[in-house]
Amino acid sequence: MKALTEYIAKALVEHPDEVQVTQTRQGNRVRLEMRVAKDDMGRVIGRNGRVANAIRVLLRVAAERDGQQVTLDVMEP
Amino acid sequence: MERTTLEIIAPSIEEAVARGLEQLGVSRESVEVDVLDEGSKGFLGFGARQVRVRLTLKPLEAVSTVQASLVSPPVSSAAADDHLLEFAAQTTRDLLSRMKLTARVETRYGEPDLQGDVPLHVEIRGDDLSVLIGRRAETLNALQYILALIVSKEADRWVQVVVDVEGYRARRERQLRQLARRMAEQAIRTGKRQVLEPMSSAERRIIHLELRDHPQVTSESIGEEPNRKVTIVLKK
Repeated sequence: MKALTEYIAKALVEHPDEVQVTQTRQGNRVRLEMRVAKDDMGRVIGRNGRVANAIRVLLRVAAERDGQQVTLDVMEP
Repeated sequence: MERTTLEIIAPSIEEAVARGLEQLGVSRESVEVDVLDEGSKGFLGFGARQVRVRLTLKPLEAVSTVQASLVSPPVSSAAADDHLLEFAAQTTRDLLSRMKLTARVETRYGEPDLQGDVPLHVEIRGDDLSVLIGRRAETLNALQYILALIVSKEADRWVQVVVDVEGYRARRERQLRQLARRMAEQAIRTGKRQVLEPMSSAERRIIHLELRDHPQVTSESIGEEPNRKVTIVLKK
């Protein structure tokens, strides 16, 4: 799931080197935190969060196959 | 054609015009474009103000232009970009493998749309891919949106990407056309406005196109995304 998030984020931003995703687990819950360059925030969030929400939908497919729940937060730099 | 003007709000002027043309179902030559608000900077920026444009349908042309462009052959110059096809296919494979799905991916250019833009089609085939469609095609549309953003970034222009899984979109289109005709009959029988369930702009467009030449009813979309829905009413 971390790999999927990183892949999408790096493909969308102007500064792929500054994409960082951390993954933590608690039982069957997976929490992803994504950090990108400040001027790339809009590219991974999108209008009304549309890009971030699309990423969450795709993450859910990956998570459900492993019986897990996943959350994705885009962190302020 | 009942609607002769349409106001659209979108992140960029190009996108606003494209969406408006799609809703009206006409080509770029058939409308006049007024930019009402140029918005503020930052394409997908946080808190950026969006662009607002008004499309005004020029008289006479609308219907004939649509039919002419529907039968025109593919634009070869726009379709000559093989690199983008391979890029889109590889990106799709990369995404699917990271979603832990195995599937075959093929890409091709579709027929030019009403604006003359050539959409890039991504066909995904394999077993047990219903998870990739999701409820009301939510997953399929998310994948399509992410792919369009990535491919458009690579191409440095907006590329319309259409993702299909095992012919789902074609089946859905047939269903929507049937639904449109059935609801039109119901509107005629009851004399009442028929309200369909919320749909994406692409799905609403299928309904509008199915009914555009209907002698007795007309269709229009009401409400705000993502709950925007088509209504069908008797012509006055």
